[in-house]
Amino acid sequence: MADIVLDKVSKKFPDGTTAVRDVDLEIADGEFVILVGPSGCGKSTTLNMIAGLEDISSGELRIAGERVNDKAPRDRDIAMVFQSYALYPNMTVRENMAFPLRLAKLDKETINQKVDQAAKVLELTSLLDRKPANLSGGQRQRVAMGRAIVRQPKAFLMDEPLSNLDAKLRVQMRTVVSRLQKQLATTTVYVTHDQTEAMTLGDRVVIMRGGAIQQVGPPQELYDHPRNLFVAGFIGSPSMNFLTATVEEGTLRTSLGEVPIGDRVRRELEGADAPRELILGIRPEHFEDADLIDEETRRRGMEFTAPVDIVESMGSDKYVYLSVEGERATSAELEELAADAGAADFSGAGSNLVTRLSAESTVTEGEDRRVWFNLEKIHLFDPSDGRNLTLHEGRAAGALAD
Amino acid sequence: MADTTTRAKVRWGLLDVAVVVFALTPVLWIMSLSFKTPATLTDGKFIPREWTLENYRTIFATDQFVRALVNSIGIALIATVIAVVLGAMAAYAISRLDFPGKRVLIGVSLLIAMFPQVSLVSPLFEIERQLGLFDTWPGLILPYITFALPLAIYTLSAFFKQIPWDLEKAAKMDGATQGQAFRRVIAPLAAPGLFTTAILVFIFCWNDFLFAISLTSTERSRTVPVALSFFTGASQFEDPTGAICAAAVVITVPIILFVLFFQRRIVSGLTSGAVKG
Repeated sequence: MADIVLDKVSKKFPDGTTAVRDVDLEIADGEFVILVGPSGCGKSTTLNMIAGLEDISSGELRIAGERVNDKAPRDRDIAMVFQSYALYPNMTVRENMAFPLRLAKLDKETINQKVDQAAKVLELTSLLDRKPANLSGGQRQRVAMGRAIVRQPKAFLMDEPLSNLDAKLRVQMRTVVSRLQKQLATTTVYVTHDQTEAMTLGDRVVIMRGGAIQQVGPPQELYDHPRNLFVAGFIGSPSMNFLTATVEEGTLRTSLGEVPIGDRVRRELEGADAPRELILGIRPEHFEDADLIDEETRRRGMEFTAPVDIVESMGSDKYVYLSVEGERATSAELEELAADAGAADFSGAGSNLVTRLSAESTVTEGEDRRVWFNLEKIHLFDPSDGRNLTLHEGRAAGALAD
Repeated sequence: MADTTTRAKVRWGLLDVAVVVFALTPVLWIMSLSFKTPATLTDGKFIPREWTLENYRTIFATDQFVRALVNSIGIALIATVIAVVLGAMAAYAISRLDFPGKRVLIGVSLLIAMFPQVSLVSPLFEIERQLGLFDTWPGLILPYITFALPLAIYTLSAFFKQIPWDLEKAAKMDGATQGQAFRRVIAPLAAPGLFTTAILVFIFCWNDFLFAISLTSTERSRTVPVALSFFTGASQFEDPTGAICAAAVVITVPIILFVLFFQRRIVSGLTSGAVKG
């Protein structure tokens, strides 16, 4: 039980690359914090520095108020679950789980009691005498968790613990991890590259990019009020749609038509060095079939007509892909996100809007469809630095706000 | 398809038999000679007409053979243990750490392995005489370790590289010191490698003739391969062929035992289940 504080923590490798830059983060006692970001963003390095497996180049790391920069991993009293599980193959499940206790020189009886208890929590009791080679992936994963919880450490560190499981098991184990963390109320730092995991598991999510923290907050806040283009594009599945928008006499010219803007955004755009080109972001669920909305809702948004490319019916709703003309929005952040998704060299023709419409919509492939979108939910980003211009005091208020 | 597989099996079978016959015939011939009486030694028959254990009795009756056997076992075992322990530490460092001079170390050990031993015999002889090591156990153990180490480092670092590094990190997180992580997690997993290396090094020391004949002069430290060459039989006028053959058979026995003993520990797939793979 302890809080973890990172105070301007940086990591420079001998070859000159900076993996982590001035990370400030306070993790409260018992909190479940997720570090998420594309590969190479420094999240695993940060975790390894908390663990003590990597030296800290500068800054200070405090666990339970005590500076631990120069302490060996074994003196920090924290447990870690590895992506590869890292079970000791020459030992049985029982011996694996007892290993940290035996190193701590506890007596046999206490060890057995603690191992049995942890095994019960993770439903491993019947597997205690097996070797790791005879376990399935999910069972190995649970043994790795068992080895971490058995000695009741100050904190858990988890390095993508679920990424080696198949999709179905991963969802199942996600709830196991979540329940376990609530039950034990132990401070947990969890690294993942999967934004769904980040959204569903954490009390707070830390989004990292290029070794720096982009935004920290509860999942819903990151989703609704992204501070910049990177956070907006990273969180959400399917991800936010991005369009280019040109500022012209109090309105925005986009491929969806002229988008009106409110006073607050106008003020932002009045400065001499204000951008002329913006990036407009809309989440898929903020579109709706124009036939299905009432007058009250209609007034809050605007409509456009576009040819329907593909309709994916999910049962509960429909994912509709619309072709729109105009250039695809580009910026360094968006390119990085595309590269991380493996889509950097696959852009398709023109730009495509992903929309999530009600299941009742009668939309069919190939037709031209009238679609409405909510102006209160759109975001405007400055392409040069990715800043969210619609954000005011941490809240996004759409384009129309006064 | 069935035809071709049967034919392939027959072809491979014949080839295997040929290789085994080629390799084992001299060994069997020596065994056959060792059981022959002096009179029938040169009769050219593979199966002895008269069986005798006289040759074996002769060699064990002479003090020089028994003494040489003791020397051989002692020297080879000590050299093996030291070379494997030192080699394990060096190989662990090479496979896990990035330290300045790593390439140089690997290069030098390779250089030693390739150096013609013959060219070193005369200097070694002089050095050992000056230091008083000539004709002693350490006088042979030291050069054996020198030449066995590169071999040990090479085989062991290949084994260490196969062990997932996460295991060591996990051990450290579980509260182990660097030493405990090595002893309790890494070393047990590297056991097949350690035993393989031990066998190779032992055989190298056991078979050496060049150093043994150059750096010894009396029974004090003469090893079996050398003692064999000094064999004269029961009397000076007797033909020692039978006795030499018997001794040759006897000295292969420890090697076979050594290999059989350790072979059971060379289980493949010891690391399976450690990490997803």
